[in-house]
Amino acid sequence: MYLPRGVAQPTELIKHLNALAPYPPGVVNLRYTIDNDWSGDPAIFFWITLSDDAARLPILSQTSRRLMDFIAQQLDPVGQWGLIPYFNFRSQSEQTKLKEEVFG
Amino acid sequence: MAYHDDLIRHAIFLSDLNLQDEPKQVDLRRAVSAAYYALFHLLTTEAAQNWKNDSQRNRFARMFDHGRMKTCSSKTSSRAIPIDPTEIPIDTDLRLVADSFVKLQQARHTADYDNSKAWSRTQAYEVIAQAEDAMTIWSNIRETELAQDYLFDLMGTR
Repeated sequence: MYLPRGVAQPTELIKHLNALAPYPPGVVNLRYTIDNDWSGDPAIFFWITLSDDAARLPILSQTSRRLMDFIAQQLDPVGQWGLIPYFNFRSQSEQTKLKEEVFG
Repeated sequence: MAYHDDLIRHAIFLSDLNLQDEPKQVDLRRAVSAAYYALFHLLTTEAAQNWKNDSQRNRFARMFDHGRMKTCSSKTSSRAIPIDPTEIPIDTDLRLVADSFVKLQQARHTADYDNSKAWSRTQAYEVIAQAEDAMTIWSNIRETELAQDYLFDLMGTR
C-alpha cells in the first residue's frame, strides 16, 4: 500500500509546517489536520482564520488565492508530501462567535 | 441565462440571506453545494457540446462521474509543466480550473454530508468566489486543445 510521505513522516511534515511562519499579512491563525478526503485520498486540511479586514468580500478572493499560492510554493503538499491541500477560511469575528475548535 | 450561471446566482442569493443577522447553516450549505454544481454543470455541458447529436447531449452530460472527474482534475492540477513554452499560460489557467474543481467538490461533500462542521459566511463566499474565478478562467481557455483534452479526460477514459 502506498503511504504518502506526509503520513509516513509526520514529524518531518510538522517541521516544514512550522517553518511556514511568519504567515502573510491577514492571517490571524493557521491550523491544519491530516485526514482522507471524501474519496479516500490522503489530504491536508488548512483552517485559516483571517483578520476581518483581510476577509472583506471585495478582497477575500485575492487574500485566499495569495495564501493558497504561498502554501503551494513553500510546502508543495502534493509534490513533496503526497497530500491534497484543502483550505477553509473564516474571519476573526466569525470564529469568535462560532468558536470552532478546528480553527483554534 | 445558462444553468451554471443561475446556480452561481442562487449560491450568492442563499449566502446573502439574513445578511443583518446570523446566517442559517442550511442556506450556507446549499450555497456551497450550488457553487460546486455550477462548475460541474459548466464542464459537463461544455463536454456535451462536442457530442454531434443535439438531442442526446443532456444524456451525454449525465454520464460524468464525480469521482472520475476528481481523479482527472487532481492529475491535471499536479502534472508537469509543458515543454512547449507557448502552452504554459493556458496550462496554468487549466490547472487553476482543475484545482478549483477538486477543492469545490470536497467543500460540497462536507456541506452536504458533514453536519459536525459549521459554515461561516466568509467560507461560503470564498467557495463561491473560487467557482466564479474558475468559470471565468475557463471561458478564456475553453476552445484550446489543452482544455478540450481535459473535457475528454474528465470522463475517466484514461
